[in-house]
Amino acid sequence: MTQVPMGAVPKKGEEKLKIRKRSNQSIWKQMKKNYAAYLFLLPKLVLFTLFVAIPVLWAFVLSFQEYKIFGSEFAGLQNYITVFQSAAFMAALKNTLLFTIVTVPFGVITALIGASMIFALGKVSQSFFRSAFYLPTVTSMVIIAMVWRWMYNYDFGLFNYILGWFGVDPINWLGQSSTALWALIIMQCLIPFGVGIIMYLASMGSISNALYEAAKIDGAGSLKQWWHITVPLLKPTTLYLVLLSTIGSFQVFTQIIMMTGGGPGNATETLVHLIYKTGFRDFEFGLAAAQSVVLFVIILIFSVIQFRVLRHDE
Amino acid sequence: MSKMFRKSVLTVASVGLAAGVLAGCSSEAEETGSAEEFEGTITIWDGPRWPDKDDNKFHWLEQKIAEYEEANEGIEIEMVQVPWAEMGDKLGVAIAGKGWPDIAPVDISGSAVSIDHIEQGVVEPLDAYIDDEAKKDFYENALDAYTYDGKLYGIPNSITLHTMLLNLDLFEEAGVTPPENGKWTYDEFLSAAKELTFDRDDDGKTDVYGFSTYIMPGYYEAWPFFYKNGGSPLNEDMTEFTFDDPETVQAIQDLADLKLTENAAPETHGGNDVGGTFQAWANEEQRTVAMQPWATWAIGAAQGAYPTNFMVAEYPAGDAEEAKTIGGVGGWTMFHQDGDANKKAAVADFMQFISTTDEQVTMAQNYGVFPARISAAEKDPFAENPEMARAMEMSEQVVMLPRHPEWRKIDEAIQTELQLVFNGEKTAEQAMADAKVVVDGLLE
Amino acid sequence: MKNQSKRVNKLIIYVLLTIFAVVSLLPLYWVFSTSLQLSSYQSEDMERPVSYVDSNPPKLYPMGIPLYFEHWGEAREADKAGNAEEEAYHREMMDHIVDNTFSSFVSLFQKHDVGKWFFNSVYISVVVTVGILLIDSMAGYVLAKKKFPGRNLIFWIIISTMMIPGQVTLVPLFIMVGNLNLMDTHWALILPDLSMVFGVFLMRQFMYSIPDELLEASRMDGASEWRTYWTIVLPLAKPGLAALGIFTFMNVWNSFLWPIIVLNSAELYTLPVGLKTLQDANLASFKLLMSGAAVAAIPMIIVFILFQRYFVKGLTLGGVKE
Repeated sequence: MTQVPMGAVPKKGEEKLKIRKRSNQSIWKQMKKNYAAYLFLLPKLVLFTLFVAIPVLWAFVLSFQEYKIFGSEFAGLQNYITVFQSAAFMAALKNTLLFTIVTVPFGVITALIGASMIFALGKVSQSFFRSAFYLPTVTSMVIIAMVWRWMYNYDFGLFNYILGWFGVDPINWLGQSSTALWALIIMQCLIPFGVGIIMYLASMGSISNALYEAAKIDGAGSLKQWWHITVPLLKPTTLYLVLLSTIGSFQVFTQIIMMTGGGPGNATETLVHLIYKTGFRDFEFGLAAAQSVVLFVIILIFSVIQFRVLRHDE
Repeated sequence: MSKMFRKSVLTVASVGLAAGVLAGCSSEAEETGSAEEFEGTITIWDGPRWPDKDDNKFHWLEQKIAEYEEANEGIEIEMVQVPWAEMGDKLGVAIAGKGWPDIAPVDISGSAVSIDHIEQGVVEPLDAYIDDEAKKDFYENALDAYTYDGKLYGIPNSITLHTMLLNLDLFEEAGVTPPENGKWTYDEFLSAAKELTFDRDDDGKTDVYGFSTYIMPGYYEAWPFFYKNGGSPLNEDMTEFTFDDPETVQAIQDLADLKLTENAAPETHGGNDVGGTFQAWANEEQRTVAMQPWATWAIGAAQGAYPTNFMVAEYPAGDAEEAKTIGGVGGWTMFHQDGDANKKAAVADFMQFISTTDEQVTMAQNYGVFPARISAAEKDPFAENPEMARAMEMSEQVVMLPRHPEWRKIDEAIQTELQLVFNGEKTAEQAMADAKVVVDGLLE
Repeated sequence: MKNQSKRVNKLIIYVLLTIFAVVSLLPLYWVFSTSLQLSSYQSEDMERPVSYVDSNPPKLYPMGIPLYFEHWGEAREADKAGNAEEEAYHREMMDHIVDNTFSSFVSLFQKHDVGKWFFNSVYISVVVTVGILLIDSMAGYVLAKKKFPGRNLIFWIIISTMMIPGQVTLVPLFIMVGNLNLMDTHWALILPDLSMVFGVFLMRQFMYSIPDELLEASRMDGASEWRTYWTIVLPLAKPGLAALGIFTFMNVWNSFLWPIIVLNSAELYTLPVGLKTLQDANLASFKLLMSGAAVAAIPMIIVFILFQRYFVKGLTLGGVKE
């Protein structure tokens, strides 16, 4: 027991072990002494290496290859050039960006408003509404997409029926380029962002009441309190939710394959659906790998920007 | 030795031919391996076919497997059940993942297995097992579909084609006379479609439409309409896109205008809802469309699960003056084997075992396909099924799709543009001009 | 005066939230309503049978319910009036309505593989959940409470892959699974799922809160590492395990993209994959599709209702500020 006594472990991954400063021999000794820890880690490490680490590295290698069933060839940057020259990829990128730019802010803002309203209620109503908004989140997107496809049905769909009340002619929602992507966006907006609501509720619960009391004494109304106390204090949660839902929305896939197949034309093609098609219908693995690397870089850039922006004006 | 003999007899019997094959067997045995010496497992994929009384749609192959295993000790055959709608994609994925079965039912003119796969060596040639004598029993176009570069890559077991299905109840209700012998011109078709579009209860909403179909990559129900003026998607030597010639552009526009200007087709005409389209024609509670084109399986469905008073008609003839239809050839293909010549021989043997004349007759009668063997067709499997017999007469009109290694992508480029014609966003001329850019790029 | 405006405010909130809740639950409601919708009904005065499944305007609740009671009432009246024939007719209609209402569930299990798919989904979700709980809590425990050379390196490597979207590894993972000869097996789903890293992160965060004194005391008693983990750490980590377990179960139950790639045999499908093939097959009616969807949705709804509070806990734990 020469090392740091267990009770004195600093909290939260901040501590830097000073092992590095010791001699190699001492590291070896330490490893031997802690063999149990390695054993505990072993199953995860093996699985992780096989099914996460190697595939990630492999993806990069593949993106520079022309994959053939018997033997692949080095292709240089050809796959990346093809990616950016392809009209389908550009359409997919544009559609995915539009989808993200509309649905993410909408989802986060409605979650914030929804959570704020729920927070003002009693315990029973709180848990009722929380469940009502979270239930669609636990339901498979496959199911939701099947129903929505039906709701958008030209002849029997709910939407055209409701439009009929207002004397509006039925719309071929998923069948024409001008509406298909918007139909998917509307659908996404009307599925409540359950995770967001629950996280906002939890964060609101941890805001100290004293702040509100003080504001009340200053004569601030509840709307003002909300805007000046609640919203700013929820910023870390907001940041997290924006990042989370951006990443999620860049990966939109299930709705596409279940509802439109990317059509009509390329009107609803998205990045992940395109990757799926390139990889598993056209079997151009090299190209699909290049597309997914590009997707990764785009998500990374977006995340960094959001992180910067939302953090900066804190 | 005696086992070997028995096997040879079986092979001969199953091919339905005499001496030639027996001689072939002994002389080529060294290079081609011997099925009797193989012990192990053969995997075969199949989709649901016709049901038995317990509603088991795989009973036919199960039965064949049992018979074969009984006769060949040491060989085990494993069947993988794959829904037809997924078969193409799944097979492609399995090939890409090097997890292919030994045998699968493949319409090689379709898109699941492509010329590209043959070029990459994924599909095994069968010439060593089926000699010229044996080939004589197959229709030539059926063999052609599986022949590439002079080699045979599958045993054809069925021929399918697309026909028009007309709901006769709706014809009667609208007072329209169905075409005599199922033959008509496009103008006759058009006027029938218009008359068949009507408002049953005078509520201002159309209850029944004359015609509808859908447009999707990999589906060709609508395509014979595009061939009607004599055009085809690629030129003879497959170096150029030719669907943009004025005749074809007109043909495409005609079919789209059925909805866009003639209002004789529902809004969903040219959409991508295959199931919904079929339900609109066949489902007893809907029947909102009088005419739809389908592959022959739908004839079986309309005689069985969806009993309908219908008739089979040809696609209307256009300027080319003779009706055209698109056909496909189904059959069994063998996938790449790693060196084991004996296994190869056993796989080929089993493939022939399930492709005999009798099996093809059984399949034709129960499953709504035409036999690929002349001897099977001569047994007149549709003696009691005039609709199938009518459809079979149409086989002379069959046009095959171009067989290009990149067909899958060419098809997708064309079909996505077609979708835009049918929803009125582009004219046929514009869409085909746009498709030409992409397709000619792929043809290079 | 002030109180009244507060009450009005609250009322507005309730109204808004209720509208929002109705919109959000409508699709799910529609699944169940359609799965039980009457698809064929013909009373004496009707010329042809009608289907309420794809009727326009759409029927907002299963029409079997009012029609059943209508016939029931008329059967009773006929009985009172002594009209046996009339009564028999209504009784028959009542039977037809019941049969038709549940017909698609019956055919799902009899004619389709839904029973198998259901079992596969349960089996895979349970195996993965149990496996993840064990493997990740072991890893999380040592990463939080032990010090050994390479600990931080391992942790950061694992965590950094959390940022990489799953699609990046889709193709290589597919080739890997093919090379391991796992195509078209349930292992092709289970093994990659067991490799997910989120649980390690979650467990490590959670294990921090376990007091070191307890572990120290156990060690003093001469307990082995395994024993300490099994008897002290795991029981204390129960809430965290519950949260992780639920999320794992939900993710695996609903996963779609990967299963449609690696599963070929219909008998191996999970429910979402099976549902897609039902939709792709031209012969499936919408009522049948929605019944399949209901079968797939019900288990998750039950899990959610039973373990709601762990969902909340899991989300708030998982979302810990970096």
